[in-house]
Amino acid sequence: MIRFDAVSKNYPNGTTAVDELSLELAEGGLTVLVGPSGCGKTTTLRMVNRMVEPTAGTVSLRGQDIREVNAPELRRGIGYVIQHAGLFPHRTILDNIATVPLLLGWSRKKARARAAELLELVGLPSEMAKRYPNQLSGGQQQRVGVARALGADPPVLLMDEPFSAVDPIVRAELQAEFIRLQKELHKTIVFVTHDIDEAIKLGDKIAVFRTGGKLAQFDTPERLLADPADDFVADFVGHDRGIRRLSFVNAADVPLRDGPVLAATSPVASARTGDEPWVLVVDDGRRPLGWAAVADLPESGTLADVPLAPLGHTFSLVGDSARAALDSALLSPARLAVGVDAHGAVVGVADAHELSAGTGGTADATRADGGKR
Amino acid sequence: MNDFLNQIRLVGDWLTSSKQWHGDDGIPHRLLEHLTYSGLSLLFAAVIGLTLGLLVGHTGRGAFAVASVANLARAVPTFGLVVLVVTLAGLSTTPVLVALVALAVPPILINTFEGVRGVDPATRDAARGVGMTEWEVLARVEVPMALPLILLGLRVAAIQVVATATVAAYPGLGGLGRFIVDGLSRNDYELVIGGSTVVVVLALVVQVAFTALRRAVVSPGLRVSPSKS
Amino acid sequence: MSDGEPLIRWQWIGDHAAELADYTGIHLRLGLLPVLFGLIISVPLGILCHRYRWLYPPVLTVANILYSIPSLALFMIFVRYTGLTERTVMIPLTIYTLSVLVPNVVDGLASVPEPVRLAATAMGFGAIRRVVQVELPIAVPVVIAGVRVAAVSSISLVAVGQLIGQGGLGYYITRGLQLDFPTPIITAIVLIMLLALATDALLVLAQRLLTPWSRNKVTAS
Repeated sequence: MIRFDAVSKNYPNGTTAVDELSLELAEGGLTVLVGPSGCGKTTTLRMVNRMVEPTAGTVSLRGQDIREVNAPELRRGIGYVIQHAGLFPHRTILDNIATVPLLLGWSRKKARARAAELLELVGLPSEMAKRYPNQLSGGQQQRVGVARALGADPPVLLMDEPFSAVDPIVRAELQAEFIRLQKELHKTIVFVTHDIDEAIKLGDKIAVFRTGGKLAQFDTPERLLADPADDFVADFVGHDRGIRRLSFVNAADVPLRDGPVLAATSPVASARTGDEPWVLVVDDGRRPLGWAAVADLPESGTLADVPLAPLGHTFSLVGDSARAALDSALLSPARLAVGVDAHGAVVGVADAHELSAGTGGTADATRADGGKR
Repeated sequence: MNDFLNQIRLVGDWLTSSKQWHGDDGIPHRLLEHLTYSGLSLLFAAVIGLTLGLLVGHTGRGAFAVASVANLARAVPTFGLVVLVVTLAGLSTTPVLVALVALAVPPILINTFEGVRGVDPATRDAARGVGMTEWEVLARVEVPMALPLILLGLRVAAIQVVATATVAAYPGLGGLGRFIVDGLSRNDYELVIGGSTVVVVLALVVQVAFTALRRAVVSPGLRVSPSKS
Repeated sequence: MSDGEPLIRWQWIGDHAAELADYTGIHLRLGLLPVLFGLIISVPLGILCHRYRWLYPPVLTVANILYSIPSLALFMIFVRYTGLTERTVMIPLTIYTLSVLVPNVVDGLASVPEPVRLAATAMGFGAIRRVVQVELPIAVPVVIAGVRVAAVSSISLVAVGQLIGQGGLGYYITRGLQLDFPTPIITAIVLIMLLALATDALLVLAQRLLTPWSRNKVTAS
């Protein structure tokens, strides 16, 4: 779809922004370009819509060399989202979104109708249409930026650190919405970020760049975490990549043991027979109710009468990833992850150590879709 | 205070006396002269200043030259320039108009330039990125965003032209300054203060006109203060 | 201008050097004292406008309206009260500086980073001490940028005062017209411009000395 053929960008002052890059980005996929500052990722992105012209090599879009297309015309067919949204402050939100349709010569009425649709698509209330950009929060502006890029329904979207100027909570929200949107739209997206977490969260494929504009590795997130090409990539993806990789392991593959599980109808005495400090209390359908601390148990009665500590989170063996299992273990008062089946019945438990030991060797573990998208 | 009231009465008498409203020495004729000088020079200055300012602002080339010209121009004593032009070229309207244009170009030029230059690079980048041609970037993004400063430049130029056109009466030109200059040489204080009042009123009208123009053409998006940042 | 008269007679300049120097001194006084007075008015006014934001729009509007009044007319209005004296020239020139100085004081104070303001408050600066010791020094570059514009305009405007007999070097402008003799006019124009530009340069220097911390930054123009 988008193809880089031995593309280089050198500046007259001798710096090389991009060095002999060859890369092919699949149609309908989201490719993340990631790397430290000055690694040429933004330059690479900007070469796709001719905001930067390469000094050598060819960039082609659907088989056509982009230099054969007039630059403004090319850009109208490619959505473009940048860090601070770059909205036009003198235009209303609606007119900002209608920019490209108007450039393409649509009637004002049709362009505005389309813009109103897009406003809704990116989750903004319609009363925002008449406002101006500086009356919106950063996160809202960024949504408008995405809507504007989608104006003429372009097949390709270029996004240059679109979410990095907003606070982490808003960023997570925008990312989630964006994943939802992409599921619906299936655009071919090139996404630049310096944030490896964001790259792993969003990317179908990730291109890691190193300083000097060299491609270090181009792979799926799983492969990148499991098998970094060299020390640079390993360093860049981080020392906690083991934990990150759990996102790509199915919860069903997590080794579980039976653990201290007791029905609520059991007498208190039965809880004291094991040597576990906490017991998991379940109902008659084996659905978990909560944790009981053995040390605090009364002398007699059943577990139903005992005050229970909240469960924290359980994880489902159907759909969740091993990462959810790890979270579940860390959040539980007993430090044990509780795995449940499709009906919510307890299958077994595991602690954090067992989780990472049990999944560490499975580099090519099947992708856990539920944990990601 | 009493004196102030006297002055107002004086102006009132002068303004309402019928001879002020007829003939070559009447207010309408002088006002028309004044408006013609000011209007024509402002028009020419705007054509030159806007064109150059947009060009330099958009391309970024010649920025240093523009800044230097503007700095130097502010130091030129307008009164001296007008008198010099009349001394060298004789008393006729055209040379004086040329001087007025020369004085009005720099404020328009520098403000237009700064207005365009001051457009957030991210906004300009976005404009190109969504597929605007250079011309569209200028016309649809840079000019509307630079409008507050462009209007400021035009206003400063207009104020200067109106003031300098007043002074131009000294070497013999028409316009509202005539009342003041003639009144001074004849020791006719009524004429001086009456003429000054008309000049003040004209200046206020110019000021109000630009305020209204600003309201009318500057996008509300550039005025509203950010509610959240 | 009579035929055969050269644009400049250097001889004339040499003959009038002492007199030119006297008028230059007068011109500087007439041009720069108003800037000083303007500053004395604008700093407290600007601080008030910064503090009470509702005050700023009306103050600015009034300053702008006064600025738009042609100097000749404003001189004439004051003649009645202050006669054909230097004061009649300096009062209007002082008034003109306000439209540049007040906004620059306000903008300068607004340029003080919020963390700095908060830090100063947290360390126990009282409101007045904070303004004087912390905010005003930080505002100096922006204020001086305004002073530069005001000084240059003021120096070049003094010449108009010659129409009431108080124009410093403007004297040579009217003299040249009366004699139909361009040399004094050109000399006056050039001297006035040199004064303005030299003052501008000195103010740039003053700013560097006053704000050593901003020396490596681009100064506002």
